Amino acid sequence: MSNHFIYLDPSPQATGDGPLTGKRIAVQSNVAVQGWPTAAGSLALENYTALEDATAVARIRAQGGVIVGSSRISELGFGLRDDAGEAVLRDEGTDAVLLTDFLGEARVTAADVCMFGYKPTYGLVSRFGLIGLIPSMETYGVASASLRTISAVMESIAGPDARDFSMSDREKPEFASRTISARPTVKAGFPAEVMTMLTDEEQRAYREGLRMLSERGIPVEEVSMPEFTLFSLVHGVMGSVEASSSAGKYDGVRYGHRAQGAKNWNEMYLKSRGEAFGTLVKSYLFQGAYFQFENYDIFEKAGRIRARLVKSVNDLLDAVDVLVLPTKRKPFEARWAETVHDVYNAFSLTLPANVTGLPVLQVPGFIMDGGDDLGMQWIGPAFGDARLLDLANHFFEHNEANA
Amino acid sequence: MMDYEAVIGLEIHVELNCPTKMFCDCPNRPGDEPNKNTCPICLWLPGAIPRFGYEALDKAVLACLALNCEIQEKSAFDQKVYYYPDLPKGFQLSQAHYPLARNGWLNIIGEDGQAKRLRIHHIHMEEDVAKLVHEMEGKTPISLVDFNRAGAPLIEIVTEPDMRSPHDAMEFVRLLRTQTRYAGSSECSLEAGTMRVDANISIRPRGTDQMNTKVEVKNMNSIRHVGDAIAYEIERQKESLAAGEPIVLHTRLWDPIKKVTIAMRGKFAGPCVPDPSVPPIVISREWLADKIARLPEMPTVKAERFNRQFGLSEEEAFQLCGEKETADYFEQVMAFPVPARMANHWLTTQLLPALKEREEALPASRVSPSRFAELLTLIDRNEVNANSAKTVLVRLFETDLPVRTVIEQGGFSQVSDASELEGIIAGVLEKHAAAVADYRGGNAKTLGFLIGQAMQASGGKANPKMVRELLIKTLTP
Repeated sequence: MSNHFIYLDPSPQATGDGPLTGKRIAVQSNVAVQGWPTAAGSLALENYTALEDATAVARIRAQGGVIVGSSRISELGFGLRDDAGEAVLRDEGTDAVLLTDFLGEARVTAADVCMFGYKPTYGLVSRFGLIGLIPSMETYGVASASLRTISAVMESIAGPDARDFSMSDREKPEFASRTISARPTVKAGFPAEVMTMLTDEEQRAYREGLRMLSERGIPVEEVSMPEFTLFSLVHGVMGSVEASSSAGKYDGVRYGHRAQGAKNWNEMYLKSRGEAFGTLVKSYLFQGAYFQFENYDIFEKAGRIRARLVKSVNDLLDAVDVLVLPTKRKPFEARWAETVHDVYNAFSLTLPANVTGLPVLQVPGFIMDGGDDLGMQWIGPAFGDARLLDLANHFFEHNEANA
Repeated sequence: MMDYEAVIGLEIHVELNCPTKMFCDCPNRPGDEPNKNTCPICLWLPGAIPRFGYEALDKAVLACLALNCEIQEKSAFDQKVYYYPDLPKGFQLSQAHYPLARNGWLNIIGEDGQAKRLRIHHIHMEEDVAKLVHEMEGKTPISLVDFNRAGAPLIEIVTEPDMRSPHDAMEFVRLLRTQTRYAGSSECSLEAGTMRVDANISIRPRGTDQMNTKVEVKNMNSIRHVGDAIAYEIERQKESLAAGEPIVLHTRLWDPIKKVTIAMRGKFAGPCVPDPSVPPIVISREWLADKIARLPEMPTVKAERFNRQFGLSEEEAFQLCGEKETADYFEQVMAFPVPARMANHWLTTQLLPALKEREEALPASRVSPSRFAELLTLIDRNEVNANSAKTVLVRLFETDLPVRTVIEQGGFSQVSDASELEGIIAGVLEKHAAAVADYRGGNAKTLGFLIGQAMQASGGKANPKMVRELLIKTLTP
């Protein structure tokens, strides 16, 4: 077994037939597959074995897909420092990987291997069985070289689940059920403020990407997101507070690492947690506990700003069909991020879709800085998932046909 | 010593009697074999997501309405963060920022006999935590965690600090229990742990309106203990101040054996952040109107009606309506032509004590309202006398035979046949000639003795009224 996986199924089986028949799909070790080790990259869940399948896992198998194994991730899925999703996509013969996306991990992983990556609208895919960290922002993401495969995975996993009440009760949209024959009229917007955040090289690459887009039939206009920098702040405050709560249950009592030699339960908690978490997660949890216990006003303020940001982006998406942003920052490599600050720099362009819960597609091959593909994100309106993927399918099939 | 008055507020946890827990489908039976009623959600295993159950909302809303609260259109769950072995996920789901209901009240009768309104600040829903069982015997004392109670549905009633005495607090708890039981939301038993009362107590010089540092007292498992613990704590605080010791904010435990409160820990209030996984609860007017329509007639209203409709005294009606089951039973008996006050008397002095002795519940009893009414009718018609009827009533618990059959088979029919009674009386007069002479000599008290003898001679079945009349008639020259 390569060290990309922490578990490989010796005889992977589907439980039904459907759009995923014959597809080999990997999950990450923070997704529950019954009987599999599910340590979520943390000593805090050492030796934890999932009791049930995550809803997404059961649905993939029911639609013909096989789950080949579960891949190594960063601690609790936060960031990409120790994540093997990229290697699995590139080297392990999978058709798709079901990733998790707390601040953009799925999209950045896809961009790293010049593939497509998709994060659906929050509330469209059940989180049951996902060992999460930031419940109000996290979703699954799907990465694949094939847009059609992404649509098929979405067709399988989307839709209401009685085991996740935080989902929207909208009916499941139909993915990949039709092909748009006529060229759809699409208008894209790019936020001027994002342009000013970038290096000169990144700006050139971004402009070139936008030019290619309009050349291929999607006109681009400038839009304004004057509060763009607030996305990171809001995510940092709310995300860390939610993470602090979510990780509160890892006490080393029923599973996970338990420290030896403690004199009482309180000391056992403190020592076990102190030994279990790595530096990055620990500092993120400290940050969240600080806001929870010492500066709750800031948390409340972040909640109000979040509502305002959601509204302003929704307003923009009334005027344009998609917002177009780069996926990665060249100066801030997610894999090298050692501190919470580094992580937030690396994901500054992806986390707005987590803060707003909007659907977003990472598209390869448009924003090239030197030899590096920085990736391009197409952000669509809430629950416009099927249309966003239909547009992309049409766009790429049309262009490939003319290439 | 300065004249102090107490300022008391209560925080009351009431366990709702829903069939399942609040966020999963596990049975809500905390008393079962430890850790039997658990699942990944109430054990909070990784990947589980809470699913709010609408049964809990139903029961909670009915209780809030019974306590005269305003149901809020929008309420939401927060994570109340603290770390303790009874809460392994590190937070309790509770409605800290947007409670289900606000601005309630209950009217009690104060110590001065006047009605007094005690206000409820708000009522919120929350999940119960696991139960710690401390095993102190053996080499190493250990603590065990029972998750049967984890996730059980609770409401917490937070009052305004309107109470001034142990009496006020006890009356409030009594009335709250009656109202909540009427709503059908909980059994509200302090003894069984389905109601837990914490009291916040401070004292201040009488006549001022300052709010001084309060002390929280817990662990009272009867209404009497609530009163005793508060009374003790008021005195303790007075003595502290007299000794020049300041009151500090902390929690104390009531020791029911030593009848004292014991310092436990500093009061800790953890942060509360909105829970992202439990959607906010939005209550529509139509849904609420339906709940209001489903709320049963409340005890004070019912008592007024019983007073009006059936002619019970105010006191009788108030007592009768304290328990909904009893009042409902009474009303079913009233569907038959039975005198109301007689029915009330027999119900409260005979049937209820007999049930209590047998540990049976009224609705499940073999003595159905129609059987009870039939017995009462026969008493009223002098077909069975009161003494025999008491024996018949006990037999009715053991048989489904018609009341008449039980009376006939047991030979309990009252002897109201004049010639038969005359025969019995003649025998008594012959046997007790001295008493007869005594009576005739002017000692009227002897009549009672002769009636008793005649009743005994009839095996208790004689119609006592007729015996009396016949005796007087026979003895009067």
